[in-house]
Amino acid sequence: MSGVLYLAWRYLLWHRFKTAILVLAVTLVIYLPVGLQLVVQRTAADMTARADSSPLLLGSRGSPLELVLNSLYFSAGSPPSLDYGQLQELRDSGLVEPIPLYVRFHSAGHPIVGTNLDYFDFRGLELSRGRQMVGLGEAVVGSRVAQQLDVGAGDAVVSSPESVFDLAGVYPLKMWVVGVLAPAFSEDDNAIFVDIKTAWIIQGLGHGHQDLARPEAAAAVLKKDGERIVANAALVQYNEITPDNSDTFHFHGDNDSNPLTAILPVPHNDKAQVLILGRYQSHPELQIVQPRLVMDELLATVFAVQRYVLVAMVLVGIATGAVVLLVFLLSLRARRAEMDTMSRLGGSAIAIGSLMLAEVALVLLASALLAATLTGATLILGGPLLQAVVTQ
Amino acid sequence: MIEITDLLFKYSGSDFALQVKRLVIDSAEAVAVVGPSGSGKTTLLNLLAGVLLPDEGQVRVGTQQVSTLHDAARRDFRIKQLGMVFQNFELLEYLSVLDNILLPLRIGAGLKVNKAARVRARDLAGHVGIADKLQRYPGQLSQGERQRVAVSRALLLQPSLILADEPTGNLDPSNKTLVLDLLLDYARTHAATLVTVTHDRELLQRFDRVVDFSELNQWQGVT
Repeated sequence: MSGVLYLAWRYLLWHRFKTAILVLAVTLVIYLPVGLQLVVQRTAADMTARADSSPLLLGSRGSPLELVLNSLYFSAGSPPSLDYGQLQELRDSGLVEPIPLYVRFHSAGHPIVGTNLDYFDFRGLELSRGRQMVGLGEAVVGSRVAQQLDVGAGDAVVSSPESVFDLAGVYPLKMWVVGVLAPAFSEDDNAIFVDIKTAWIIQGLGHGHQDLARPEAAAAVLKKDGERIVANAALVQYNEITPDNSDTFHFHGDNDSNPLTAILPVPHNDKAQVLILGRYQSHPELQIVQPRLVMDELLATVFAVQRYVLVAMVLVGIATGAVVLLVFLLSLRARRAEMDTMSRLGGSAIAIGSLMLAEVALVLLASALLAATLTGATLILGGPLLQAVVTQ
Repeated sequence: MIEITDLLFKYSGSDFALQVKRLVIDSAEAVAVVGPSGSGKTTLLNLLAGVLLPDEGQVRVGTQQVSTLHDAARRDFRIKQLGMVFQNFELLEYLSVLDNILLPLRIGAGLKVNKAARVRARDLAGHVGIADKLQRYPGQLSQGERQRVAVSRALLLQPSLILADEPTGNLDPSNKTLVLDLLLDYARTHAATLVTVTHDRELLQRFDRVVDFSELNQWQGVT
């Protein structure tokens, strides 16, 4: 049999162009449906796992899908905001431990997630380098952010302006990286975490500037009215928070009315979850959602599309298989003289009969190996790609 | 020894038939078979090789009743005891010269290529003057070189009977002589029987005996 395999191998090598086309065609027939199936399944599993680990989400009324995608996957647009005061109300209920989320801004394409330290415990995120954020203007970055932006503890990241031409808009804030998270193989790897107040400073709700009472700031004083000092346009506003100027940062107004995009209420037990669900079920301004149910709806749509694509691929596969079969049958006909020579020399009927089968087997083996390699690569690269497509 | 007795062979759907009352070829005899085209010379070689089976009569080669063997045994007989040389060489274009010579070992039942076989293939190639072309492919060789590869392939398993179907038909005079010398030389040194179909009258004197096929075939048409 090894002799026949050798002959088959030599034949395929001699006709390498034809062989390459055959292998490619069969590879695609195997890979496309299998690869798609695996990628969709893997992506669905990854996405539902994150949704499963977040039992509830509270946000303003609007699209539940937008709320889930923004809060869990840090993608899609910002949902309508809710007041920070809701956080205290939830905490006062004694049913849940609420975690604030403000996901609106970006830095070099990576989402900036305003939250508190409870988020890291909730997601089981651990530091691989540096320390946790403790003050204003400090950031902890996910592992992929650290790798892609080549930043670590001691480096800085700058928030991206929302609009270059909007003078009243959000100005860039330079934030100091104090820690890098260990890989979690989730969306958290791609995020920059800051304290919720830092996120509000990026938005301009809090700010720091020169102390107008000090003599060196005299040029920035427009007028003095007793205790009240009015600044002019020469007032220097800080665009980074340092130990020297951190005391000057302050918020005007009540923090309770500052915005959040969502609250992650972590119920103390199943009963608490049911109670909190019931409490917000018919709230006129807020909605409470179970992320798993929302994701199931989204993935049902993805699976429906996938079914149609699979049917189309199977039909194309059948057509390609028929063409490949035709190629082999025509080849068999063209090689009748060669088979006849082997037969007259005394070649065994089994050896001659299995020669083309060996060629088919080698083509199938090469195609299967190539398809497996492509599938592996797709699982590594395609999963995140599909997830990005689904969540955008 | 080859012995044909009361042989009758007909192609289905054709008026042609081969009828041989008796033909005996001794061991180690070199026989040339001559006759007009279409007279059945190649058919006779195929009957001797067991490629075709007679409708009547017997074909015996050595101790083997070739005409009564089943298919696998006839194939085994061909590959182990026969060396076949064809007018059109019938080499495989996708195999190197060395692999073409070794082909019988790759397709024969129970045979395999080993070190000794490779050494023998190289020796044969050296003997026929193509030792430096072992890694080339048939398309890169001249007609004479291709027939020398085919002769090496036929002699690889040291057959006791060589059947050559117009082996010099496509060759120039110098290659004709060379190829015939190789076949005759092998037959004499290995006491092998050589049956060669040829149209070339100049070569006939080199054989021990000449069989005229127009006299041998006694078929008189449909009776």
